Amino acid sequence: MNKIAIIGFGAAGYCAAAEARKWDPDALIDVYTDAGRGPYNPMLTTYYVKGAIDYEAMFPFGSLDEIEERLGLCIHRNTAVTGLDAETKTICLPDGTKAAYDNILISTGASAFVPPIQGGDLPGVFKMRTAEDGVYLKKLLDGGKIRSGLVVGASWVGIKVVEDLVEQGVDCTLVDGADWAFSIAAFRQTAQRVHRDLEKKGIKLAFGQMLSHIEQEEDGRITAVMKNGRRFTADIIAICIGVRPNVAFLKDSGIAVNRGVLVDERMGTNLPGIYGAGDCCEAYEIQSGERKNIGLWFNARKQGEVAGANMAGKRKAFGGNALLNLAHYLDYDFISIGDVASCRDEDQVYEYEDDRYYIRAVRGEKLKCINMIGTGESNGVVKSLFIKYFENNQAEMDMASICHLKENGFPDSFIDFIGRDQH
Amino acid sequence: MKHVFTFDPDRCCACSACMIACTDQNDINLKAGEKCFRKTYDTEVAFKEGGIYCAYLSTACMHCEDAPCIAACPVGCISKDADTGFTIYDNTNCVGCKSCAMACPFGAPRYNTEDGKMVKCDGCYIRIKNGMKPACVRACSFGALDCLTEEEYRNSGSDKACNVLIDQANLRKKEALGRWR
Repeated sequence: MNKIAIIGFGAAGYCAAAEARKWDPDALIDVYTDAGRGPYNPMLTTYYVKGAIDYEAMFPFGSLDEIEERLGLCIHRNTAVTGLDAETKTICLPDGTKAAYDNILISTGASAFVPPIQGGDLPGVFKMRTAEDGVYLKKLLDGGKIRSGLVVGASWVGIKVVEDLVEQGVDCTLVDGADWAFSIAAFRQTAQRVHRDLEKKGIKLAFGQMLSHIEQEEDGRITAVMKNGRRFTADIIAICIGVRPNVAFLKDSGIAVNRGVLVDERMGTNLPGIYGAGDCCEAYEIQSGERKNIGLWFNARKQGEVAGANMAGKRKAFGGNALLNLAHYLDYDFISIGDVASCRDEDQVYEYEDDRYYIRAVRGEKLKCINMIGTGESNGVVKSLFIKYFENNQAEMDMASICHLKENGFPDSFIDFIGRDQH
Repeated sequence: MKHVFTFDPDRCCACSACMIACTDQNDINLKAGEKCFRKTYDTEVAFKEGGIYCAYLSTACMHCEDAPCIAACPVGCISKDADTGFTIYDNTNCVGCKSCAMACPFGAPRYNTEDGKMVKCDGCYIRIKNGMKPACVRACSFGALDCLTEEEYRNSGSDKACNVLIDQANLRKKEALGRWR
C-alpha cells in the first residue's frame, strides 16, 4: 500500500490529498497540520474583516472533519512536523516519534514576516496572514474605538488592510521602505497613478521609510519610528512587509532549499519520493527559466494537484509560473504581468492612458512586463497573450482576442505592441 | 450527460439574436449596467499591408474541460456541473477580486457594478436538464451556435467545439493574420 504523508494543509496540501485519493483509492494518506482547523485562504482574511464574507467562507474546502471523511484521510491536528530524514523518507514528530512513508509532500506554506524589532509585540501591532489575524483585526475595528491606523508595507496584503481601515472610516497612513507602492511589480509611472488615487481617497502616503522600532505612547497609542527618525503615531500598526516560506524544519534534511523548497516540473525535490508544492516552494518561472517562489492561490492548487497525482503514481507536470500580481482594492484594479526588474533602459516602452485605462508595457526581444490599471475584465486575455508570446515569439494572435481587446477599448497600438510580428 | 457548445464562424453574421436571448434568459438589466454573458463581435481588423478582415463572432464562456477559473477562485464559487460538464457558479461568497477574470483566456467572467460580484455564462444548464437547448442556441437563426451531447458531437464529425475553436481559428487564419496591425 502506498503510504503518503502531507506536511502542511493549506490549498496545496488539500489539492494534493484530493488528487492522490482520486488516483489511488487504497493509499494511506496521513496529513500533518500545525492547526486545528481546515485549510484557509490567506487572501480572504481582509474580506472577512470588512464583512464581505462569513468566517466559514475563509475555509473553502470545509472543516477538517468534513475533509477527513470526504477524502478518507488521517489528519493529525496541531501536529507540526519537526524534522525530515529524506534518505529514509522518515518524518519526525513533536513527541519524538518517527514515521516512514513512500511519498512525502512538503506543503507548509508561508508566514507573514515580522522583523525582530523592539516593540514588535506591543498590543495593536499585528500582521495579516492567518484566519486568526483576520479575527484579531475585525474585533478591533468592530469595537469602534480605532480612530487611526498605520500600515507598514505597500504590499498586496498591505493595500487590503488599508481598504479595511478606510471602509471603516479609520484615518489611514501607508508607508513603505521602497520609493513607490508595489515596487516589486509596478513601474514608477504606474505607481504615481496608484499614489494619486490613494491620496484622493484620503490615505496619507510616505515612501523610503524603513521601520526601526515601535514605541508605546502614554496616551495608549503606538508610534512606528523609522530609521530616518520620522515618527508615525496611530492606534494600530499593521506590518505587511512580506512573507517567508515555512522551511526551517528542513535544515539538515538534505532537501535542496533556496528561499523555498526547489522543485522540478513534477513538483519533485532533489530527493526521490519527496515533493514540494505551494507557497513553501520554488517552481520554474517561464520568463527567467529559473525557479522562483510565487505565492498565488492558483499556483498552490495546481502544484498540489500535480504533486498529488505524481505521489499516486501518475505522471503530471506543472505548466510553469509567470510573475503575476493582481491588486483589487477600493474599486481600483492594478495588474502586473511579467518581471518589472528585467526591464532595461534600452528596451522599447509602450504607454497609453485614457479615462478608463492606464497601460505601460516593456519589451526587449520579447515582452518583459505589462502594467495595467482599470482593465479587470480583460486581464486574463492579456495575460494569456503574454504567456503565449513568451513561449512562442512566432505565435499569431487569435481573432477572438483581437476582437475582445478592440471592443473593450484597448487601442490598436497596444494590440500591435504585444502581438506584432517581431521577426 | 456531458454537453459541448459548437460555433461555426462561417455561419455567423453577428446579428446578436444570441445576445438578446441570453439577456432575456438571465434577466440581465442592461440599464443598470449589467453585461450580457454572451458577446457578439462585428469587428473590422485592418492588416499592416492593407486590406481588412471582417470578423463575425459570438463568444461566451467556453466551458473549458480544465477550467482555470475554478482553481483561481479564492472562495470556491466556481465548479463543474456533474451532468452537463458546464462551468457553473454560486456567487454567494464572491468577493469580486477578479481572480477568475485573470485566469480566463477568453474574458468570460463579468462583474456587476451594483453588488461587485462575478457572473458568467452557465451554459443554461438548467434548461439542458429540462430537455431544452441553451437560450442563445435556440435564438440562432443561422445554425452558427449549437449545443450537442458529447455523443452527438462525436457522431457529427464536427470540429467546431468551442473550447478548441480558438486554436482552429489560429491555424486557419494564420497566414492572413500574420501581419495584421
